[in-house]
Amino acid sequence: MATTFIPGDLPDEQLAQVLGQTLAGLYTGPARLPDRPGGRTAALSALKDYSGKDYVGRNDLRGHVSRLSMYLRHGMLSIVEVAEHARARMRGRDLSEFLRQLTWREFFLLVLAQDGAKVLGNLEEPKYRARWTDALPDDVREARTGLPCADAWVTHLVQGGWMHNHERLWFSAYLIHWRKVDWRAGYRFFREHLLDGDIASNALSWQWVASTFSAKPYFMNQANIEKYSAGRWCNTCTVQCPFRGEYESIEGQLFGGPVNPAPMPPRGNDRRGGRR
Amino acid sequence: MSAPARQNAPVGRAVVWIHGDSLSPTDPALEAVPDAPALFVFDRPFLAKTEVAFPRLAFMYQGVRDIAAARSVEIVVGGIGEELAAFAQRHAATELHVTRNFTPQWEETLQDFERRNPNVEVLVYEPDRLTSYDGPVKRFFGFWKKVEAEVLGGNALYAPQRGQGRR
Ligand SMILES: Cc1cc2nc3c(=O)[nH]c(=O)nc-3n(C[C@H](O)[C@H](O)[C@H](O)COP(=O)(O)OP(=O)(O)OC[C@H]3O[C@@H](n4cnc5c(N)ncnc54)[C@H](O)[C@@H]3O)c2cc1C
Repeated sequence: MATTFIPGDLPDEQLAQVLGQTLAGLYTGPARLPDRPGGRTAALSALKDYSGKDYVGRNDLRGHVSRLSMYLRHGMLSIVEVAEHARARMRGRDLSEFLRQLTWREFFLLVLAQDGAKVLGNLEEPKYRARWTDALPDDVREARTGLPCADAWVTHLVQGGWMHNHERLWFSAYLIHWRKVDWRAGYRFFREHLLDGDIASNALSWQWVASTFSAKPYFMNQANIEKYSAGRWCNTCTVQCPFRGEYESIEGQLFGGPVNPAPMPPRGNDRRGGRR
Repeated sequence: MSAPARQNAPVGRAVVWIHGDSLSPTDPALEAVPDAPALFVFDRPFLAKTEVAFPRLAFMYQGVRDIAAARSVEIVVGGIGEELAAFAQRHAATELHVTRNFTPQWEETLQDFERRNPNVEVLVYEPDRLTSYDGPVKRFFGFWKKVEAEVLGGNALYAPQRGQGRR
């Protein structure tokens, strides 16, 4: 096949049309620009604008997270640059918590470097008797599960190309543990839509939730979602909530009983030692 | 399109391969050979069998565009192996410079390239790292205990690894 060349100077106004035509058949969905522009210039200005103030409240959906993941993912910012920026601009627990989160990225990359393609399959046996189906259900893909929260998570993913970490955790737990879908279907769905989608952080986070790369499965309950979303969905929700209940009863319902008692007392409201 | 001939240049003709993790003019391989032409490939076989939504491809394009504003970059659609080989040939390259990528496919691509292009030397650069830790990794908590002081202290306990490595 003859080589197809693409000009290197398409302005944004022409980008979607020209690139969309040249790459026809090689992508899903409409040809449109990303929510956040790519490139070194955009990356540097996003970094400069980020103060990291109150980062320690990051678990709340309204928390001040950086949204720099897509720039880190594609090398538009280096991890050292981002750490140096944080050290110059942030203080105290905001700073230490941010650097600790950044370290997750390095950790996942090191696991990938160590284990290679193995990270795309179960690294360990699941810690409960898991029966997962392979395919992503259509109602999930199309954001019509009927659960206002879950449908919003999918909408953020598909339309914005980015999700808050807590939404990623909730969504992955919902898909794997409530819908009993293999984590790899979720991994592929994220890979399709996330601007920061990669192999290491994506596959290994899914495995962390599934319990094939952790000592026990991650799950949440309705109180946790309500708290960290400030009731955004729960306040007006009228559906039968599958997440409602105490952790113990949900654990019984999802996993048939307590799974592998946590080595550390749970912190905050998430049912798991070691917060992310 | 080719690199200007450097007088008395002891090295051969260099080209750079930029991949999805190195989309910045500050990529270590790009910075090492500032005059060398660079190649970015939209991987046709991969995209044909993998679902990827368009905004991601546009995002990557914008990254390559920022590099192309400052130096010679060719952007092509095709198989990475064939395109790399053709690119090296177009420029009569004797050296291929590239920054390390941790995906399993990257290693295979380079091995394949070396087999098919025995006269081109492959030079690999290390991407920036947050820590100097090089041992085995198992759980985040254990890793964090090992690197916490280094990460929080901000004093690199290590020499920056930006050097170039021969494979
Ligand atoms: C199921 C699931 C899938 C995920 N898939 C990806 C993925 O494909 N790519 C990806 O970059 N991240 C992934 N993450 C991790 C995390 O959700 C995102 O990195 C984070 O939400 C990005 O937002 P931010 O830039 O505002 O993060 P911030 O909180 O501002 O953190 C700063 C940077 O640190 C790194 N970071 C922070 N938290 C994590 C984490 N838990 N794991 C790894 N890196 C982290 C990111 O590079 C991030 O940009 C996934 C998490 C889950 C639960």
